[in-house]
Amino acid sequence: MLLIRTFEEALLQRHDHGFQLLSSGQEAVAVGLCAALQPGDPLLASGRSIGAALARGVEPRRVMAELLGKATGPCGGRGGRGHLAQPSAGFFGALALQLGGGADVVACIFGDGACGGGALHETLNLAALWRLPLLLVCDNNGYSVSTPRSEALAPKRLADLALAFGVPGRTVDGMDVLAVESAAVAFATLARSGGGPAFLECVSQRFASHSTAARETRSAAELLAARASCPILRLQQRLEAEGILSVERRAELEREVRSRVEEALRFADASPYPDPSALVHDGL
Amino acid sequence: MASEPLAGVKLFFREAIGRALRDEMARDRRIIVLGQDVGRFGGSYREFAGLYEQFGPERVRDMPVAEASMIGVGVGAAAAGLRPIVSITYMDFLMLGLDPLVNYAAKLRFKTGGQLAAPMVVKTTAGAKGQGVAHSQCLEAWVMSVPGLKIVAPSTAADAYGLLKSALREEGPVVFVDHKRLFPTAGEVPQGDGSVPIGKALIRRRGSDVTIATHSYMCRVAEEAAQRLAADGVSCEVLDLRSLAPLDMSTLCESAARTKALLTLEEGQLPCGVGAEVAFRVQAELGALRVGRVGALPVPVASSPILEAACLPDAERVSVEVRRLLSTHEVTPAKRGSA
Amino acid sequence: MILKLVVPGSIEDAEELRVLEWHGTVGQRFAARELIVELETHKAVVEIRAAQQAILRRVLAEAGSWQKPGDALALLSDEPTEPLPATATGETLLVEFEVI
Repeated sequence: MLLIRTFEEALLQRHDHGFQLLSSGQEAVAVGLCAALQPGDPLLASGRSIGAALARGVEPRRVMAELLGKATGPCGGRGGRGHLAQPSAGFFGALALQLGGGADVVACIFGDGACGGGALHETLNLAALWRLPLLLVCDNNGYSVSTPRSEALAPKRLADLALAFGVPGRTVDGMDVLAVESAAVAFATLARSGGGPAFLECVSQRFASHSTAARETRSAAELLAARASCPILRLQQRLEAEGILSVERRAELEREVRSRVEEALRFADASPYPDPSALVHDGL
Repeated sequence: MASEPLAGVKLFFREAIGRALRDEMARDRRIIVLGQDVGRFGGSYREFAGLYEQFGPERVRDMPVAEASMIGVGVGAAAAGLRPIVSITYMDFLMLGLDPLVNYAAKLRFKTGGQLAAPMVVKTTAGAKGQGVAHSQCLEAWVMSVPGLKIVAPSTAADAYGLLKSALREEGPVVFVDHKRLFPTAGEVPQGDGSVPIGKALIRRRGSDVTIATHSYMCRVAEEAAQRLAADGVSCEVLDLRSLAPLDMSTLCESAARTKALLTLEEGQLPCGVGAEVAFRVQAELGALRVGRVGALPVPVASSPILEAACLPDAERVSVEVRRLLSTHEVTPAKRGSA
Repeated sequence: MILKLVVPGSIEDAEELRVLEWHGTVGQRFAARELIVELETHKAVVEIRAAQQAILRRVLAEAGSWQKPGDALALLSDEPTEPLPATATGETLLVEFEVI
């Protein structure tokens, strides 16, 4: 979580950060979910892909290169944030549902905004019909850009959407990484044993606006309240209270993360841009 | 002569499709069929008849009426290593699946830098045959311009067989467009490999006065017009595009350079249509030549037989346009349904 | 009387048809409404039955062959020994057909 947060802070400081959807505040969802996945399980994410990619183990230097449009990104600079993908690491950004053949579990992270679209309901229907080992994780940060959940979606609990299809659903606190992990493990176990799909709703809060191009709609007070439930702080406080995390160890972790992020930036800056003359040849 | 098919067995158009699928599915276990009514029902045109019985429900799956997820599941399956063919019964409803087709299937290889690809076929039936405004459309032009997507359209049973085989062997997505009015037809299908390369047009009828570039069911309309015109001493060359993306510019230009007159013919709409692309591309290579286009009238195709017939190109309209094209050396004002 | 069995012209949506199966042999007497031959269109099977009793005398279109509406399929006759013409001529046999 620390890596994701530090990574994004460093990215934002650049003038060429580009069009980004940041995961800050929502780190616990991707991290908690990935703790329940095994190396061969594909993770499909949405446009809010940085947290998911890093949580899944894609190297920070590769993620940074892709976000900055460099040729050394996993997609050669062609995918960018919106379509970050590294199948070998079990990470597909913004892809459609898989047929589940081969993998134990396929996990898919999407936002509350996707819940109004027919594709989600079509997916739930098919996953239930075919008993696919599919874990649908709704990272519900309460807003579709500017529209609050209550004005966009009829169900108060988005996990209830799954019930119509006979798919088990649960709602957990998306700011509590251990709660997310625990629920993800339970559903992943169900899927691996042939129990079919599940829908895990994680109620989260984003710290920034929807994207770097979107205006913030929340008040200063609301933003302060969101920050107060920071998932990193929560875990940190718990670990400190239980004597697992010392002050020194915390400082050490922060240093390690900073160093990895700096290395990622150096790597990306030293990397070339993709060659435009190769565009048409590679396109197909 | 290039246009003579190899001796083979005469099959209904639907049987040629079924045979291609059967041959390829037996050869390649990765091929699966997804669509409405493709299983026990055997397809709306019986083009999938026997496949469910031979290959089972794992490989021949009926889907709910949900075109977006039908194609979406296809893309995902293809990315995961299978080779799906997704059947969209009416091309009109391909619209519901354009996002996964265009934003996922077509772009997958590019946006992942080559890490993933989507080898899949979307088979869909175009054309008007009395079923009304939302069950009659020819939308090939809408998908011709999508980078990463190949489009093929057979006009004969042999080409249905050959193009489908080739499509199923491609490493990226292919849209295979057949036509309602082709299903009652029959033709010789070669006994051997019989695959038809994508990107190759075929001269169906040799001629010297005008090249009629067309595809799918309109090839038969062009042939009929050519026969009528021949009686009046006008020699038409009928060129079956077979592949809309990529277009076979070599065959097109060779023909138009000889005849010095090009008439494009399509059942779809003219604005930004197949003919617009063909006409411009040929002229860009050869320089100015006499060019005309024939297509549907700019109205939805109603189910009433009188209205439907009035909307669509027929041999008579094609003949009139050929004569107009050959009688003038200047561009005449565009008429509705031709330009 | 020599009767000619032809492909009915009023089968919907049938441009070309394939002869599927003859349900009898030359010399056989068919009762009225007895199934004589099955044809295949691109989407259906068509059962052809004579509206009258007749004897099958010569098959002109073997199973597996392709025919068009109006094409001659067979010659039949009222009496078993009536001499057959060299070509496929005769009164068109009235038939009933059912699309399955």
